[in-house]
Amino acid sequence: MVVPKGQPEVRIAGSKLPVIPLPTNCPGCGVGLEIEELKKRNYVCECGHHFRLGADAWIALIADQSSWQERWEDIRSHDLLNWKVPKPYQAEIDRLMDEGLNEAVRTGTCKLNGRPIWLAAFDFRFVGGTLSIVAGERLARGMEAAAASGIPYVLVSASGGARMQEGVLALMQMAKVNAALGRLHAAGVPYFSVLTDPTFGGTAASLALLADINIAEPNAAIGFTGARVIKQATYADLPDGFQTAEFQLAHGQVDLVVPRTELRRLLAHLLEMYP
Amino acid sequence: MTRHGRKPDETTLSVWQVIELARHQDRPYALDYIRRMAPDFIELHGDRLSGDDPALVGGIGTWHGRTTMFLGHQKGRSLKERVARNWGMMHPEGYRKAIRLAHQAAKFRFPIVSLIDTPGAYPGAGAEERGIAAAIAEAVMEWFRIPVPIVAAVIGEGGSGGALGMGVADRVIMLENSIYSVASPEAAASIVWRDNARKVEAAEQLQLTSRDLLAMGVVEEVVTEPEGSARADYDAVAVALDEAMHRHMQALLVQPTDELLQHRYERFRYIDSLVHAEPEFGPKV
Repeated sequence: MVVPKGQPEVRIAGSKLPVIPLPTNCPGCGVGLEIEELKKRNYVCECGHHFRLGADAWIALIADQSSWQERWEDIRSHDLLNWKVPKPYQAEIDRLMDEGLNEAVRTGTCKLNGRPIWLAAFDFRFVGGTLSIVAGERLARGMEAAAASGIPYVLVSASGGARMQEGVLALMQMAKVNAALGRLHAAGVPYFSVLTDPTFGGTAASLALLADINIAEPNAAIGFTGARVIKQATYADLPDGFQTAEFQLAHGQVDLVVPRTELRRLLAHLLEMYP
Repeated sequence: MTRHGRKPDETTLSVWQVIELARHQDRPYALDYIRRMAPDFIELHGDRLSGDDPALVGGIGTWHGRTTMFLGHQKGRSLKERVARNWGMMHPEGYRKAIRLAHQAAKFRFPIVSLIDTPGAYPGAGAEERGIAAAIAEAVMEWFRIPVPIVAAVIGEGGSGGALGMGVADRVIMLENSIYSVASPEAAASIVWRDNARKVEAAEQLQLTSRDLLAMGVVEEVVTEPEGSARADYDAVAVALDEAMHRHMQALLVQPTDELLQHRYERFRYIDSLVHAEPEFGPKV
């Protein structure tokens, strides 16, 4: 099957950020990075190291050219708990918005190889990709729309979990999103989840692992509690490869571990096979 | 606040003092309430897959004349008991046991009572290996499909996803000196400052007291505790909790099932609606 490439880039007007911040050398193999070469390989080094992507890069990678229609990009976070230390939350989200990011989840419709899909992508650059009220609202609305229209739902996750600065209401997003997800499943709509580095906490313990097909990127860290906290709490020696994508495959939590260079083709194929 | 008992004094306790009360080892635990609410309680064990999680007790008892499914996090009081109960921190088997018992309750139309008292799900390697994230996620999604009324109460600590995994209910209430938070203050400090010694500062920002949650619209009611907190009078606080939970349950028992499930959906789907009311949140679809 020939699957055309996605669009080159989806940028927010006025964005000052690079698509992804890149080091000068690959952390996997130490080789100096050729940005244009890396871009052609969807930001995967020849050694297999997968660089983290922002939501805009994921949308560009998955959506057919000119097919992306973003939804609910106007809903905004604000500082409901009056969170002041160590960083005032309102100033933090204002700064990130000013840099061209738009919350920890962006969502909308697009086509993948001509098939319409709902797409939601986490952005780890926005407060660690944390599940917030705005993120939860965009996810739940998209799932409800997908359930109503029967259009398959594709998620790309990269998240530290629920957002501390929104308190218990951030925790409640797990229930809000899973309520909508239950209706998506009940409506018989396919749901494919792409788990990228890192996917943890309330995001892993809500929507990210409940897809019809869970697809993880090679070596992505996926789990509930991070390794640092587990070591602090239990003084355990954790084995090599703990909480990697391959570990989760061995423990029955993901269906497939797929390199990013093959992802678009795989998703296109799955969309042919599922209703 | 509820009408019975004394009015809570808003100025007497700091946030950290409330947390210490919520965690106090003499505070009544789930079984202290369940045995008072349903003296004929029979504990049922196991997830029918691989194990039994002693951090979560489940079983049936007669409550106001009706067989009821009770679920509750159980902390231990002595060191030995704490180790056996794993400090009320559930493993994946606990969430799977809870859902197994919820399905049984659905089969026989038993209402469900859930008592929440956990620092969080167990942060250990074994829990990760056996899929703690997916176990919580499955439970949270499944609770929305359980076609019988569910009333939950936070009786001590409501910590993070470990608590929410037992907290999807038609009504959620709290005891006055209990807390419910996105993460324990220690974990929040560790995430935000990378230093869990900043727990008091984290706690003061998290808005995790019963009063905060009532104001945010996350819980329906706060049950007042006796003078000297719940540990001063187990019987009195059990009576007050029983009365509040039963009052909510009676209202739910007369609802048709589809309406019950639709309301449960809306309860969580729009749980942040007090916040959304802002114009910049935009219209709902």
